[in-house]
This record gives sequence, structure tokens and C-alpha cells, in this order.
Amino acid sequence: MAYQLYRNTTLGNSLQESLDELIQTQQITPQLALQVLLQFDKAINTALANRVRNRVNFKGSLNTYRFCDNVWTFVLNDVEFREVTDLVKVDKMKIVACDGKNTGSNPAE
Amino acid sequence: MGLKIHTHINLHAYTPSYPTLPEASYIPAKPNVQLGALHQLYYDPNIENKNLAQKWLMQAQISAQAWQFCWALLRPDKVPEIQYFGASALHTKISRYWGDIPAEQYGTLKTQLFSQIALFASGSKIVLTRLCVALASLALNMMPEAWPGAVGEMVRAFQEEGGAADGRARCLALLELLTVLPEEFQTSRLPQYRKGQVRGALGREWAAVCPLLQQLLRQPESPAPVKARALKCLSSWVLLDVPLSESEGLLEAGFAALADPELFDTAVEAIVNAISQPDSQRYVSTLLKLVPQVLQLQEQLREAVQNGDMETSHGICRIAVSLGENHSRSLLEQVEHWQSFLALVNMIMFCTGIPGHYPVNETTSSLTLTFWYTLQDDIMSFEAEKQTVYLQVYRPVYFQLVDVLLHKAQFPTDEEYASWTSDEKEQFRIYRVDISDTLMYVYEMLGAELLSNLYDKLGRLLTNAEQPTSWQHTEALLYGFQSIAETIDVNYSDVIPGLIGLIPRININNVQLADTVMFTIGALAEWLADHPVMLSSVLPLVLQALGNPDLSVSSVSTLKKICRECKYDLPPYATNIVAVSQEVLIKQIHKTSQCMWLMQALGFLLSALPVEDILRNLHSLITPYIQQLEKLADETPNPSNKLAIIHILGLLSNLFTTLDITKQEEESGDSAPPIKSTPPQTGPNPVVVVLQQVFALIQTVLSKWLNDSQVVEAVCAIFEKSVKTLLHDFAPMVSQLSEMLGQMYSTIPQASALDLTRQMMHIFASETDHFPPIKALFELVTSVTLTIFQQGPRDHPDIVDSFMQLQAQALKRKPDLFLSENLDVKAVFHCGVLSLKFPEAPTVKSTCLFFTELLPHCADVPPVGQVVQDDGKLLLLAVLEAIGGQSSRSLMDQFAEVLFCMNKHCFGLLTVWLKEALQSPGFPSSRVSNEQKDTFSQQVLRERVNKRRVKDIVKEFTLVCRGLHGTEYAAEY
Repeated sequence: MAYQLYRNTTLGNSLQESLDELIQTQQITPQLALQVLLQFDKAINTALANRVRNRVNFKGSLNTYRFCDNVWTFVLNDVEFREVTDLVKVDKMKIVACDGKNTGSNPAE
Repeated sequence: MGLKIHTHINLHAYTPSYPTLPEASYIPAKPNVQLGALHQLYYDPNIENKNLAQKWLMQAQISAQAWQFCWALLRPDKVPEIQYFGASALHTKISRYWGDIPAEQYGTLKTQLFSQIALFASGSKIVLTRLCVALASLALNMMPEAWPGAVGEMVRAFQEEGGAADGRARCLALLELLTVLPEEFQTSRLPQYRKGQVRGALGREWAAVCPLLQQLLRQPESPAPVKARALKCLSSWVLLDVPLSESEGLLEAGFAALADPELFDTAVEAIVNAISQPDSQRYVSTLLKLVPQVLQLQEQLREAVQNGDMETSHGICRIAVSLGENHSRSLLEQVEHWQSFLALVNMIMFCTGIPGHYPVNETTSSLTLTFWYTLQDDIMSFEAEKQTVYLQVYRPVYFQLVDVLLHKAQFPTDEEYASWTSDEKEQFRIYRVDISDTLMYVYEMLGAELLSNLYDKLGRLLTNAEQPTSWQHTEALLYGFQSIAETIDVNYSDVIPGLIGLIPRININNVQLADTVMFTIGALAEWLADHPVMLSSVLPLVLQALGNPDLSVSSVSTLKKICRECKYDLPPYATNIVAVSQEVLIKQIHKTSQCMWLMQALGFLLSALPVEDILRNLHSLITPYIQQLEKLADETPNPSNKLAIIHILGLLSNLFTTLDITKQEEESGDSAPPIKSTPPQTGPNPVVVVLQQVFALIQTVLSKWLNDSQVVEAVCAIFEKSVKTLLHDFAPMVSQLSEMLGQMYSTIPQASALDLTRQMMHIFASETDHFPPIKALFELVTSVTLTIFQQGPRDHPDIVDSFMQLQAQALKRKPDLFLSENLDVKAVFHCGVLSLKFPEAPTVKSTCLFFTELLPHCADVPPVGQVVQDDGKLLLLAVLEAIGGQSSRSLMDQFAEVLFCMNKHCFGLLTVWLKEALQSPGFPSSRVSNEQKDTFSQQVLRERVNKRRVKDIVKEFTLVCRGLHGTEYAAEY
């Protein structure tokens, strides 16, 4: 099973919005919608792992971190993103990270 | 009754006789109707008929009658498509409607399935697989009590002679059944407690499977297809975490099968699956036995590499890497076997350095990169003493790795590279980034010595007069430097001055090399800030590169990095930098975005100069553009002068984004926010001076381009960037700008004007001297926007969005604006209610924000209290409609916040309104019952403190309203 955390992205949200609409107008079943969503999870996990190598550097001070159920969470303060074009500053940032290698197995046991 | 007659009748008489859906009871138990629908699904050219048939068949599959018709569909006189549907219906019934089957019929069902599988053993493969899945599902549902020893029975049943199929076909059918059994378990929907039970039972059944597979794999006379299927079956069972020690013999057979090209792929899969099981690390002695077996593959690997057999080398590499990657810690700890593990590490090193260029000649080397991270992590996590011992062995290995990686990172010859497709070039770029990441990580282990090592190599390469150096080699070494310096503080490395000294010796005869030189200098920008004396050696290179359009991105971004990091040391070079920049800008060497970066670089640079120097430089820098803009402003608007105008305005905004004469206090305190201190200065801020000078010109431009949103946006951007950098220093411009914005907006409303108004509101809200023009502007834009609402706001969701944000900002920073007689609070409120129904999510979000800012002022701002009292019910209705399914599900949190605010600030009214609103039948959705509505309103009214809880309540209710409640699709992940 692929990670589902990318459902909460612009792309994922738009997809769910469309699926919701199709279900509400009874054009597809929730089961089919689920299959589409699972396919989305698979595709976006693969695409992000294999097709993207853009890098952004950032630094900030680490406020909290935890590693629970194979998910890393970091909360950072006063973070500076340095990209070629811009320097972006944010007060608070939360990073949720999962092991990209694990996407093949099913962690939900 | 012959099939032909049936099909014939159905084909013609069938379509109008579809039983109406969804009443499943209409679905006939006799199979002839299903046949017709299937025919339509597969062969009907009309897509509507296909869809109808599909829908009907889905329903038929789960109907009670399915038990009867599925057997008939499986009859040997039917075509495979129809048999498949029958088998599939059986599986659906067994896996999802297990409860329908009375316990006394389990036996019959089992027998029937066994005999069908025996029949299909020499029949259609897809039907056979479906039937196996159905029997597997039956077994999982019955295990362990109702069917003890299920697997044993399966094995026995298929070993018995008899039936139509020959021995080999029965054996293959049995293996298929055994393969799908664990797979069906992985995807089954058994309840949690059953899952554990069944897993345990399956684990015990391994004892029946293991000897069978062993026998089949070891028998020399077993045909290859049987062996392949046996290996697949092994792959499937190891995923159940069967003890690795028990599959030792099987793995050995798997290794033997690698020699057979027909079995190679399946054997690799089985071995890799077995080794990568998380549980396998408990069986250290088995793992130790695997190491020599993997090492024995080296000969085959070398041969495959020599023959360019990419599949074989890839497969062997996967095996070696899976053993190393998953078990490096366990194997490292077996100190007495250190040599064999080191041999495995070296084998993986061979795979990393596999000859040829990625991805054209080989695709194997990239598989190994994660292994090196894992091994390093494991070594570095040992306690200090142990670590030292391991480092003695592995530091040289990692130094070798660096050499190998830098070799692999080298570009091919120019000729070869030119022949690559763009896709291959992109993959190579990605590969190099992966190498760069690995090097950066390896630095953690090797430390500064890694940099001196690279430096020595580069030095030897560049000073060797005898051998001509290839640019690829030099480039790779610099790339290594850059990889590390880009992210890691190289301040304490003593080789950087030497490196910078070497750079001018590089014969830059190639664009790729030149790019890397630039990026390397850019990566050293922070170091240069601490060693400003070295600036003089690199700046000329960067300025020279600036004139080369091929190096546009690398040279401009490097200059920008240097200007940002080293601005306080750059004044001596400022004149030169400005002159060169100006020249390349005039010559139009760079594309638009690089021109913008260049202006940002100049902004940084000028910030550190004395005010009079800034003014002088600004003057010479922007005068040509001002003149050009004056000329453009006179021309009749057309698409080409529009682009030119936007370009010039963009240059100015980017310059003002970074031109900041206040000095950020150095990070003195630990967590204190940076404080800006303005140096003692006499006149106004130079940016303000320039802005005032060009103000009239900008107004002229605007007057001609007022209805072009891009030009207006570009104008607003100049001021927005300046306000952000100047903050209160912007004060002298406030009145002028407010007046201009007001004129602009009243002529042609644009969202960017509202955004700029909000920005000024934010900064100047508490400054009594400067606020009056902003107040007037706010009242003006509000009344103009209200007219838009009267005329139909649907064409301007962006304006509505910005308007709601502006109103929210006003309520936050200056709520007494809502006391003004000139502000029609009631109308603003109604506009908000309308905007909640917009389909654009950002607009709705901003509107919800507006209401959450508005409602708390019910008590302290009388006009707000009045409008909520009068028309609050409309707001509630809009919110309920949205929750009822009219708005996107992702916005429910925002609507919950509005509801929560109403509950907190006008509880009494909400109680009455909620009751009234929910009374009307079918509102907010026909899917909710009166009880569900009651529960919802009770729950909402009860929560006046816990906002999270209200969000949950709303989420739950919206799912019910949308018919999604309880579906796996909408389940929280």
C-alpha cells in the first residue's frame, strides 16, 4: 500500500472533490472512487520518488521531533528556504516524512 | 436447451427486459439473462449499453441468485469470458458475503470448488486463477476451526490421480492455488482478530507447503514451468514472514535456479522477497549461510557485465543489495565473519562502479546508493570504541566509494552525450543529484579529509603538465566539492583557499564545466563571507561568465548568492559589478527571470552602500529604463509594448525587494527575533526617493493600461515589495499611493489593488498620522466592490477573494472602521453570505475567515451586532448548505470554524435558527434523517470550547449528507 499523505495536496484534493461529486450524483460507487484514490496514491508516490530531483535548502531551529509508527515529524521555527530565485522565511514549519523505501509493503497491520 | 438458442434469444430479446435496478430481487437465478448482459458488456459497440450492462452485472454478482447462476456459467460449453464472470461472482460472494452461507453448506461448496479447479486445470488460465482465488477465500474464512489442515488437504487432493487433467496440469493448478492463498490473505477483509488467527494458521500450514516446493525444485526432472511456479509460490509465502531458517533449503534451490535463464527472474524475486522480510533478521545463522552463496554469483555477474547482459547484472545486484541493505547491522556484528561481509561490500562496490554510463549502458549502479547510507548509519551508530574499529576497516572503503561515484558522475564524451535523448539526459541529471546526495552524506563519516582528498586530486590533475586532462574528470571533482559545500559548513576546512586558487587554472573549454565552476563558487558564498579577502579571486570569473548567455542561470545565481552573503564586503567592487550588470542588461543577454535575479543581486549589493552612493547607482542603473518607460507610456497599447512595460516594472520590483538599508542585527540572542535598526540617516529612504520620482510616470502608464490586470499587478507589485522591505519608512508614500489606488480601483477594479490596500492596512493601522488616507481608501474600495456585487460578482472570484481578505484584515487590525457611517456593514455581510456559495475554494476560505473575524465583534461593534441579529440566519443557512454537500469537502474545517464562532458569540440566536433551519425536510440533504439532524444540532450546540470537536462533528455530518458515511473511500487515513 502506498502512502496516503499526498491526498492532502492541491492535486489530491481536486481529485477527491471530483470523485465526491461523481458519487453524489451517483455516477460512480464509493468503491470505485476508492480504487481511483488508491491508484492516485500509487502513482504520486512513484512519481515523486522517481521523477523529481529538485532540491531546496533550508535552515531553522528544531523545536520538536518525533518518530512514531514509522512517521517522522519535525516542527521547526524561523525557517529560511534558500532557492535560486528567492529567500523565503516562515515562522513555523512542520515536516511529515515517511520512508520512501517502504512504499512497497503494507504497514497497516 | 442448447446454448446457441439461449444466446440467440437473449441477444435480440434481452435489452428491453433489464430488470430495474437496484432491486436485486429481480435478478433471475437462471443464467440466460446474465449471458445476454455479458455479451453486451464485451461486444456491444454502444457505450451506453455497455455501462448499463456493467452496472447490472455488478448488482447481479452480489445478488442472492448469484449462488445459482454462477455454477451454470462455469459449464464447459461456455466461452472463457462467461466462465470468468461465473468464477468471479463466486469469489465475490465468498469473500464479501460469507455470512450468507449456512455452515452446513461449507463442505459442498468446498467439494464443488475443488472439482471445478480440477476441471479447469487444463482449461482457461484466467478462469483457473479466479477459481483458485475463490477457494483460497473459502479456506481463509473457514480456517482454522472449520477447516483444519486446509493446505494439507489441498496438496492431497491434487496429488490423487484421476480427473481429466494430467499430472503436470494438476501440479500447476495446485501451485497456483497455493500462490494465491497468501495473496488473498494480504488483501482479504477479515476482521482484525480473525486476521491474527488466520495468519497463525497459515504459518502452521507452511509445514505442508515447504516440503512440496522443496521436492519440486530439487527434482532434476521437474519441468521449468513447474519450477518457475514453485518459485513464485515461495515468493508469495515468504511475505507471510515464515521463518527464514525453514526456507534455507528452498533458497539454496533458488540460488541454483539462477543459472537457468528461464528461471532467473522468478528466482531473483523469491530470493529478494525472502531476504527483505523484516522478520528475517532474526535468523542470523541463515543470513551468514546466504553470504557465500551471494558471493558465488560474482562470476556470473562479471560475465554478464562483460557480455552487456543488463538483466542478469541487475538481478544479481538486487540480491546482493537486498542482503546488504536489510541486514548490514546483523552482519556487521558477526565480528568473526568480517571478511565475508567485507567481500559482500566489495561486491556491491563493484555494482556501484559497474562500467558504462548511466542510464544508457547500465541501470544497475543506482540500486546500490541506499545501501551505502544504511551501512554508514549502522557503523556510525556503534558506541565510540567499536566505531573506531569499524572505521579502520570501512573508511578506506568509503574513500574508494567516493572515487567510484565521481567516476560514475562524469559526463560522457561530447559526441556521445550529443547522441543521448533528452529523457536520458534528464535521467543522468537525476542520477548525478543522487550521487551528490550520497557524497554529502558520506562527508559526515569522512569529514574534512574528504575535501583535502578531493583537493589533492584536483591539484594533481590541473598541475600535471604531461597528461592532458579531460574536462569531464575536472568537472566531476568540482561537482564533488560543490555537493558538499552547498549544504555543509566547510568553514573549518583548510583546503578551500587552495581550491579557489586552483579555479583560475582550470581550462574552461566546455559549458558543463563552466556551469559547475560557477555553481561551486556559488556554493562557497557563505565561506567567502567569512573570508572576504578571497572575493577578489572569484569575482572576475563570475562577472566574466555573466556575459555568456550559455551560463546565464549559473552565473546570475552565483552572483546573487555572493551579493546576498557578502554584501558588507562588496562595496569596493560595487562600481564594477553595477557596470557589468548594466552592460549585460542592456545587451539583453539574459532571459527575463535571470534579469529579475540580477536585479535582486544588485538590490543586495546597493543595500550596504552609503545612502548617497545608493542614490547615485540607482540613478545610473534605472535611468535608461525610466526613459524607455516614458517612451512606452506614450505609445498606443499593443501586446509587444505591454511585455516591455511589465519587464521594466518587474525589474524595479525585484530591485526594491532586496534593497534594504536597515541592518539586520547579527544573530546575537538565541531565539530573539531579528531587530531592524536603521542607520542614522539624514534624508528619506533612497527607495522612497526613487519611487516619488517615478510616481508620475507610473500614473501615466497606469492611465493607459488600467484595464489590463497584468500591468496593474506589475505596478502594485512594485509598491507591495517596497512596503514589505521598507515597512514604516514607506510612510511618506502612503497618502499619494492611497489616492492613486482609489482612482485605479474606481475606474477598473483589480484584485491586486485590494491586496496592496490590505498590506498598508496591516502596517499602518496603528499610526494615527498616516491612517486617514488608508481609511478613506478602504471605504472607497468597499463601496466600489459592493457595486460589483450588485452587478454580478461571479465573474470576479479573485476580487471577491481579495475583498474578503481585506475585510478580515480590517476587522483584525481596526474593527472601529465598521463603526463608520460610510461603511454599509449590512451589505458587506450579505456579500459574504453570497461568497460562501462560490465554487472557488480560496474565495470561500477567505470568506470564512472574514466571518470568523466578524462574529467576535457582535458585542463591541453595534452595527455588526445588528446585522448578525437581523440576518445571521442567512449565514447559517449558507453554512448548512455547504456542509450538506454544496461545497468541497476540503473546506469543512473552515465552515466548522464559522459555526463554532456563531455558537460562541451568538449562542441564543443559533439555537433558534438551527432548529428552524433543520426543520425543513430534505435540508441540507435528502440523505439525512430527522434524528441525524437532531443529533447534529445537539452536538454542535454543546461544544462551545472545543473547536476540534466541532470540526469532527461537521466532518461526520457532511459525510452522511453526501452518502459517503461508513465507506472505505471516505475513511480517515
